[in-house]
Amino acid sequence: MSNDHLSKQYDADLETLRSGVLQMGGLVESQIRGAIEAFANGNVDLIDQIIASEARVNEYEVQIDNDCSHIIVKRQPAAGDLRLIMAISKTVTDLERIGDEAEKIARMSKQIHERGHTDLHRFANIRHAADIALSMLRQALDAFARLDTAQAASIIRQDVAIDTEFRSILRQLITFMMEDPRTISTALEIVWIAKAIERIGDHAKNIAEDVIYIVKGTDVRHTAVEVVEREALG
Amino acid sequence: MNLYTRRLLVNRFNLLVSLGAMLFGLFWLAWILYTLLVAGFGALGPDLILKMTPPPGNSGGLLNPIAGSLLMAALGTLIGTPIGIMAGIYLAEFGRRGWLAPVTRFINDILLSAPSIVIGLFVYEVYVVQVGHFSAWAGTFALALLVIPVVIRTTENMLRLVPDSLREAAAALGSPQWKVITLVTVRAAKAGIITGILLAIARISGETAPLLFTALNNQFWSTNMNAPMSNLPVVIFQFAMSPYDDWQKLAWAGSLIITLGVLTLNIVARTMAREKTPVY
Amino acid sequence: MNAAVLQPTEQAVVQKIRVKELDFYYGSFHALKNINLEIPERKVTAFIGPSGCGKSTLLRTFNRMYALYPNQEARGEILLDEENILSPAQDLNRLRAKVGMVFQKPTPFPMSIYDNIAFGVRLYESLSPRDMEERVEWALRKAALWEEVKDKLKQAGTSLSGGQQQRLCIARGIAVKPEVLLLDEPCSALDPISTGRIEELVHELKNDYTIVIVTHNMQQAARVSDYTAYMYLGELVEFGVTDEVFIKPKKKETEDYITGRFG
Repeated sequence: MSNDHLSKQYDADLETLRSGVLQMGGLVESQIRGAIEAFANGNVDLIDQIIASEARVNEYEVQIDNDCSHIIVKRQPAAGDLRLIMAISKTVTDLERIGDEAEKIARMSKQIHERGHTDLHRFANIRHAADIALSMLRQALDAFARLDTAQAASIIRQDVAIDTEFRSILRQLITFMMEDPRTISTALEIVWIAKAIERIGDHAKNIAEDVIYIVKGTDVRHTAVEVVEREALG
Repeated sequence: MNLYTRRLLVNRFNLLVSLGAMLFGLFWLAWILYTLLVAGFGALGPDLILKMTPPPGNSGGLLNPIAGSLLMAALGTLIGTPIGIMAGIYLAEFGRRGWLAPVTRFINDILLSAPSIVIGLFVYEVYVVQVGHFSAWAGTFALALLVIPVVIRTTENMLRLVPDSLREAAAALGSPQWKVITLVTVRAAKAGIITGILLAIARISGETAPLLFTALNNQFWSTNMNAPMSNLPVVIFQFAMSPYDDWQKLAWAGSLIITLGVLTLNIVARTMAREKTPVY
Repeated sequence: MNAAVLQPTEQAVVQKIRVKELDFYYGSFHALKNINLEIPERKVTAFIGPSGCGKSTLLRTFNRMYALYPNQEARGEILLDEENILSPAQDLNRLRAKVGMVFQKPTPFPMSIYDNIAFGVRLYESLSPRDMEERVEWALRKAALWEEVKDKLKQAGTSLSGGQQQRLCIARGIAVKPEVLLLDEPCSALDPISTGRIEELVHELKNDYTIVIVTHNMQQAARVSDYTAYMYLGELVEFGVTDEVFIKPKKKETEDYITGRFG
């Protein structure tokens, strides 16, 4: 994607598309951050903010998909341009889902704090997992902006870590529930939160896979991490 | 005054001048035709083509000169056209490489603009003197020499107009070159080539000088090609220069006939060309 | 994960034309530089590239059309069914009966539609009138023109519309049953509907003929061909399966051309 198209308008359209994705990503990032905060502090205003920005995220998704259709019909993109458009359309879906997951986390957190069972310091792992997920998303957006396949490959590897964390959180919560049945409602809500975080990691991984597709032209979905790294760095 | 008005005025001025020039030319043409009509009209009548040239003082017609002209023009065309067409085909189809074609074209152009009297003298020297007497063959020969360059030129030009894509399309089917030429290229240029032949005929119809030295003239009816033959141009020449009234009238009539004949040929040629010329 | 596209070597694909170290000169201008290429049998191969890249020049070496003009010379080898067609011993007319060509501008001969089709056939076969009629009908049906002209076979070829004339030229080309059909920008003078019909036609014809098409319309090349060759300034830059060339080209120059970047 080095030099410019003959049509400056085409370049401008692609640029608008790219920055749209990054803006949407930034919004979603702040949603996650807010959700983590809400989990830790139960800040009601924050929770309401997150729910409000959902609408904005959805708008972005519709707008960007629309712009992709326009570019396809106008320019009949081929090769790298085609892969970029296809990938952007998918990335935007993933970002929207991440936003949904962030909203879920916020809602769950609200319910937990309203109930009052807040010895959540026992659940520092959640915080940790959430931070990894957030970092994965940030790295994925960064990899998209710079079309950095090495970074994309490392994100895909990190997803393994999140899955491991999730399973360990699950085991912890099961132990808590068995110890003290009064904590079951809260524990279940935390399970949903952990699941949402795990899903955020998956979506970030999808975005990373899209980056590799854009640059290398290889579809690395559903392949082992070693194969992915070979494709990305080779 | 501004630029626009000035342009307008210059435009009008030039239009008027062109119109004037055209009218000037047309005026003389009209006068010539009018004079011919008026002077020759009196002698028009069935007698003109039924009776032969009379001795001075008698009435008569132009039967033998008309017949002689037709005969020699026809034969001259018949001989000259095939040669001209073949040479034209050579120049257009085979003349893209080498030196023969440009040289031929150059010589042809010279022949085309050679004064017809020179052609006549040439035939006189080469044929009439050798044979010892004037004859219709000599006349035919001279006319053929006039037909050839015209046909060559028009044939080549018409063939050149046929786009190469047509030749390539025929060649691409595996057609040998001679078939491409005869079945495709010449057929495509057919209308133009025929026009060229008609124009050649129109040209030779009025030539006097070559016939003067070759076919001379004959007062009587003759179809003997080896003897002098009567023909319109020479008869007109002879009768017009004479002091006899009847002869002069016949000369006018003869001029009118030639003019009308050439006019008809030209009109036919142009109509054909307009109808059939394909737009590439 | 590899794309589920057959590699050229997977099926036993016969190479109909093999170009070996081909150079071509217009006078002293070196128009084609060391071309090495193989055209698979019964597939459509497209040549794409900017103007002046040599794609038409290369196409016209396959039936030695350049031999009609002085100062045009080809060096190297072009093997059609393993026989070198550039050798001086090659009978040009026989070659052209085997390798047909359709040009950019429709070129109907100045004769009736029937005679247009029969022209090529009459050159090398002597058919009875009955057989000739069948052949003409067959060719016109193949070219998707029969229904439109079956009642006016005696009319001049030039009386048809542009799209019909081009289909007439295609019918004329296939009537002689060649093995290879060369199409030099066959649709560039036509409207979109006629273009669409001809693209459909190419799709059907490739079952029986090896087709090489030169086009400056990239989307057409992507739609119509199985293999694509990208040329630039007389050189063959990339050759491969069409889907791969258009989705994941190997060379940057190819990608630049396809995506409209002429840096």
